[in-house]
Amino acid sequence: MTKNKAPYTTPSDREFVMERLFDAPRELVWQAWTKPEHLTHWWGPKGWTLPVCKVDFRPGGIWHYCMRGPGGEESWGKAIYREIVEPERIVYLDTFADEAGNPIEGAPEMLITVTFTEQGSRTKLSTHTLFTSAADLESVLAMGMVEGVTQTWDRLEEHLASL
Amino acid sequence: MNTIFDVLADPTRRRIMDLLRERPRLVGELTDLLEISQPGVSKQLRVLREAGLVQVRKDAQRRWYELRPEPLAELDEWLESYRHLWDERYDRLDKYLQELQAKEKNDDQK
Repeated sequence: MTKNKAPYTTPSDREFVMERLFDAPRELVWQAWTKPEHLTHWWGPKGWTLPVCKVDFRPGGIWHYCMRGPGGEESWGKAIYREIVEPERIVYLDTFADEAGNPIEGAPEMLITVTFTEQGSRTKLSTHTLFTSAADLESVLAMGMVEGVTQTWDRLEEHLASL
Repeated sequence: MNTIFDVLADPTRRRIMDLLRERPRLVGELTDLLEISQPGVSKQLRVLREAGLVQVRKDAQRRWYELRPEPLAELDEWLESYRHLWDERYDRLDKYLQELQAKEKNDDQK
């Protein structure tokens, strides 16, 4: 299968969207996103493991996990499920937390919507990020306004389109 | 020390950057356009200068404020790293889904 690496889009100055088509039925993709025994196989960055992955899969429930890097470094994350529409959509608040699940002050919060769409025997996955915390990332997204940045993105988009 | 994120979180400062993106301006112009007091504008300009986002060019008796976009590369890098994160996740998920399906197939054949 050819690599269909997707460029991202920014529909507004607070949103970030990425899509990809997976050669797997929707039910399976859904399982992979919602069950800890599956998440541990793929969630972390390349070369990282997921030694802790607790999932309380219901609206208001918490997904608390630890990612461990190749050098032993650890990064904890905590997500709070906001909305679950099986097998179409998951909405969760993505935050940074410590081992005890306490939020890390000043860290960004992002509202993520994952959409699963059937396309024949394949599944299109779309992740939509809404940056919510006022201070840091709302401002990242003042980005549309600033020339230098926009130009770089245009170049990036061109580059991705040429791959 | 303010991060670039803190600095840009303020709508007035973003508005100033917008105006300076069009062309360099004098404080008086900014005061008129933004309809806030000159001390108010000066205060925001100071924050922007400290963050390296704005610089002053002196021309005879006048001080022109102009945009300095280099620090914005930070934002760009941040966004690129966010894209990269999702790309990697997708790559791993893709591979994992293939493995799962291959396994299912094998199990069926047994």
